[in-house]
Amino acid sequence: MNISTSTTATTTSKNQSQIEQALQNNAAGVLMNSVTKKYGSFTAVEDLTLEIPAGYYCCLLGPSGCGKTTALRMIAGHEEVTSGDIFIGGRKVNQIPAAKRSTSMMFQSYALFPHKTIWENIEFGLKMQKVREAERRTRVGEMLDLVGLSHLGDRKPDQLSGGQRQRIALARSLVTRPQVLMLDEPLSALDENLRVRMRTELRKIQKQFGMTFIQVTHHVEEAFSLSDQIVVMTHGKIDQVASPEELFDTPASQFVAKFMGDNNIFQGKVINCVQDSDLDLIQLEVEGLGTIFCRGHGVVIGTEAACSIRPDLMFVEPYSPDLPAKSSLAANQISARITAVEMTGYVTRVCLMAESTGQELLYKVRTEDWRSNSLHEGQLVVLSWSKDNCIFLAY
Amino acid sequence: MSSKIGRRTLLKTGLAAGATSIAAISCSPKQETSVNKSPTLITNKIKDVTLRFVGTGAAQNNDIRNQAEKDLGFKLQMRALSTGEVIQIGISQPKQYDIFDGEFFSLPLVFPSGNLQPIDVSRIKQFDKITPIFTTGELYSGAKVNTSQGTAPRKVMFVKNQDSTEFSQEPTNWATMIPYQYGADTLGYRPDLVGRKIESWAELFNPEFKGRTSLLDIPSIGIMDAAMVLESQGLMTFRDKGNMTKEELDKVTQILIDRKQDGHFRAFWKTFDESVNFMASGEVVVQSMWSPAVTAVKARGLPCIYAPLKEGYRGWGGGLGISKNLSGIELDAAYEYLNWVADGWIGGFLSRQGYYSSTPENARKFMKPEEWDFWYEGKPAATEIVDPYGEKIESKGAVRDGGSFEKRVANITCWNSFMQEQVYLVYKWTEFIVA
Amino acid sequence: MLNNKNLSTYLLVTPQTLIFVLFLVLPIIAIAIVSFWNFNGFAMTPGFTLSNYLGIFTSKVYLSTYLNTFKFAAIVWLICLLISYPVAYFLAFQIKSPQWQTIWFLICTVPFLTSNIIRMIAWIPFLGREGLLNQALMGLNLIDRPIEIFLFSDFAVVLAMVQLYCLFMIAPIFNSMVRIDRALVSAAEDLGSSSFQIQKEIILPLSAPGIAIGSIFVVTLVMGEFATMRLMSGGKSSSVGYLIKNQIDSLQYPMAAANAIVLLLLALIVVALILRTVDIRKQL
Repeated sequence: MNISTSTTATTTSKNQSQIEQALQNNAAGVLMNSVTKKYGSFTAVEDLTLEIPAGYYCCLLGPSGCGKTTALRMIAGHEEVTSGDIFIGGRKVNQIPAAKRSTSMMFQSYALFPHKTIWENIEFGLKMQKVREAERRTRVGEMLDLVGLSHLGDRKPDQLSGGQRQRIALARSLVTRPQVLMLDEPLSALDENLRVRMRTELRKIQKQFGMTFIQVTHHVEEAFSLSDQIVVMTHGKIDQVASPEELFDTPASQFVAKFMGDNNIFQGKVINCVQDSDLDLIQLEVEGLGTIFCRGHGVVIGTEAACSIRPDLMFVEPYSPDLPAKSSLAANQISARITAVEMTGYVTRVCLMAESTGQELLYKVRTEDWRSNSLHEGQLVVLSWSKDNCIFLAY
Repeated sequence: MSSKIGRRTLLKTGLAAGATSIAAISCSPKQETSVNKSPTLITNKIKDVTLRFVGTGAAQNNDIRNQAEKDLGFKLQMRALSTGEVIQIGISQPKQYDIFDGEFFSLPLVFPSGNLQPIDVSRIKQFDKITPIFTTGELYSGAKVNTSQGTAPRKVMFVKNQDSTEFSQEPTNWATMIPYQYGADTLGYRPDLVGRKIESWAELFNPEFKGRTSLLDIPSIGIMDAAMVLESQGLMTFRDKGNMTKEELDKVTQILIDRKQDGHFRAFWKTFDESVNFMASGEVVVQSMWSPAVTAVKARGLPCIYAPLKEGYRGWGGGLGISKNLSGIELDAAYEYLNWVADGWIGGFLSRQGYYSSTPENARKFMKPEEWDFWYEGKPAATEIVDPYGEKIESKGAVRDGGSFEKRVANITCWNSFMQEQVYLVYKWTEFIVA
Repeated sequence: MLNNKNLSTYLLVTPQTLIFVLFLVLPIIAIAIVSFWNFNGFAMTPGFTLSNYLGIFTSKVYLSTYLNTFKFAAIVWLICLLISYPVAYFLAFQIKSPQWQTIWFLICTVPFLTSNIIRMIAWIPFLGREGLLNQALMGLNLIDRPIEIFLFSDFAVVLAMVQLYCLFMIAPIFNSMVRIDRALVSAAEDLGSSSFQIQKEIILPLSAPGIAIGSIFVVTLVMGEFATMRLMSGGKSSSVGYLIKNQIDSLQYPMAAANAIVLLLLALIVVALILRTVDIRKQL
């Protein structure tokens, strides 16, 4: 891998600009307008409307079965839409076959042709487009250089490692100079370390060429690290479209909040709402825990709702009987018992259980900081957090 | 068919194994026998004997077995195979059988192998009732059969003495096989499709029937039928059709190939069923045939004639030989069986299918007078004629094709044969088939 | 520990090896030995002669029998392939439900549910001069006299063999095809392949191992065939298998053995040629 990365840096410099030029300014945006896909009585994607700007790295994120792959395959032209329209670069493509959409797809299993050499695999798309032999040779060579695997042109796919196959699949998709590249779980077949490295590389190539990447993944960290735009999907619908930062800071729903990771969520009834600066201050009555303060808007008093607090934005202190209950309006606090402590590296995960309700909670802290306190498993503690970090979730 | 044989073989092996284990318990270790040997070797009562047969379909039959077991008190184990297989087993697997039920023409191959023991004629009580066809070969003075060609049974019926495997041309006290069935084969045809009488072997190659004839694809028999045809057409003459020279074989084959390439033959048959199907479906209107096959075509309600031809019949005969492995009580049982066969029950049974009995007088005792009159005397059927299984095969008033026993058998001019040039014959026949 | 493991491995392969040696290797060795024995027209005698083999290679009759056998093997193979490839493709790619795949497959095995005798009897009323097919064609006024070559001809032999052996081609091709990752087809489409190019570039090469295995089945089966050949040609055509059977029936064991050995070697050569062309290991 190191070898190949350095190869990329050195040998490709001379023709790098050529390829980039060929590929750049060639990105197209994608628009899905009320797209629905049904398989018999089962609705895989329901009334999906989504705009992906040209040159964006967009991740479709969600649990398996949420419709993200179906959405991707419809854009690529491998599935027909049941209703609605798809536009690529402003052109309606509903009736246009996959090969003519100026898109290219990288499959989850890479779908390299096992009976063809690496060279032939990459060359395949050009051959199908009836590109002349000489040009084919140049372009395949460039692509192999780009992914740093020029020396493997004669091998067959089964003689390659997972990471190498992934690069070849990428090269094969890029060689036809698509406007939109679609990637279906491109990293899921790789082990953890390789996944992180390839992630970086994918992002680099996307930036280099500036083309639109649409990637399907169920891996939150991957989506965060790669995307300009994340589309969180569940049950065939979009829950939230946002940048990674937005998504991290202000999940729009309980589902997103949960899916984003380890956010602590409290469900209750809205009992009060006070206008305050740009976000309202909301009081949520949580059974067994009393009132919890959070920030948000669009609130109807009396409805069932929830709020979310990130596990790293909480504070933990040892419980003492003389600690005043509900010291101030500014802070939420509850008593909980530590049930487990997991040191995962830089971060330590502390599992807790609310004393009054038994709800499981999570607190994350830098391992260094955790070491400096004297808390331990089984100890009763007080968890507190600021109302400003606590996000109101309407649904 | 093969599965049947498989089951029988299995049964037999099982019995043998069982007998061996009994032997191991009841006898001294010295007498333990190998599985290959007869399981009855250690018994001393004739009712415990089991005789194992190997033969072709006609007499390897449950009705015959049941009757024989009832009359004789010991067991028979029958095994029905093709003519070729019977000969192969006769020669190469002598431990597989106690009684060899084969055709006389196979004896020049089988007897010299030493697997059969000469049969003491004096122990066959009814031997004098056996038709002279087998003993002297003379049916009556002036009959064509007296000078018939081919491997006539009389030529291989006797050996010189008890220890000899050399055939004697005169009757002696030592027989190779005791005959029990024989027949006279000829052409069968569909009168409704031919539209006239067929009276000569030459008709088989008549261009009138182009594409609608068939020949038997068993080299040694097929070549003789062809020879009959060529002789009657006047195209060739033979010193002995049952023992052709290479030159004769070359010539016959060449003519056959010409006929074949001319599209004269619709197909060739090898099994009984095929010959019946060809004829019944009308694919073929005239072909060489076996008597029961003609009966089977008639049983389907189609007219079929087993033509008496002016050049005569091709005859064949079957008999029973005794394995050289038999001795003592088992040998006694084998002789008892041969005597039972000569007594006539089996002759009556086979006669009702159109075969002839080697002891016709005795067979007559087991037949109704009207059956005897129909099958042997050539008289019109006084009643409906039924086969041994009760199926009607002829209506009242019908006459047997070719007439009486005397007329038919006397007209056998040639017998199924084993030729000196057998290897060359098979080779030439192959040439004909692939041409 | 290592020894134990080795021992158990040997024990596991022993029954198979014994059966293989007892029922395949030894009989073939016996046949090979007999093929050098003398034959005097009545019986065989142990010895060493090449005349049985010389007979095969110098005889026009035997050579034309071998040629005839190869001719049928080639024709039946080609037709089986032309029929089986689309059928297997249909089963593997067009039928989505495994249940229906099974049902269709069972339909393909119907020819095997009848015995040779039944088939022989059934062909006559269908293909015969007065058979259904001729009657139908005449009824439709397409022909005015029965077509004779429907039965007892090379045509009939090929027809029956194709009907009989197609499944041996369909099954391995189907097996190869179901293993083809559907994503490969999508990828090829994505890269601009037409349906024809997908067949030529992806499905055909990837089902080659199945085609090879099917070809081995069909070619070796047809080369050893004698029953169908005899029944459907009405005994008017011959194959090496039938030649061997005739020689056995005539007790000419040494010649039959020599023919059996030559046929075996030829079959092995054909198999070797097929294996040289296609790597079937992926299939196994």
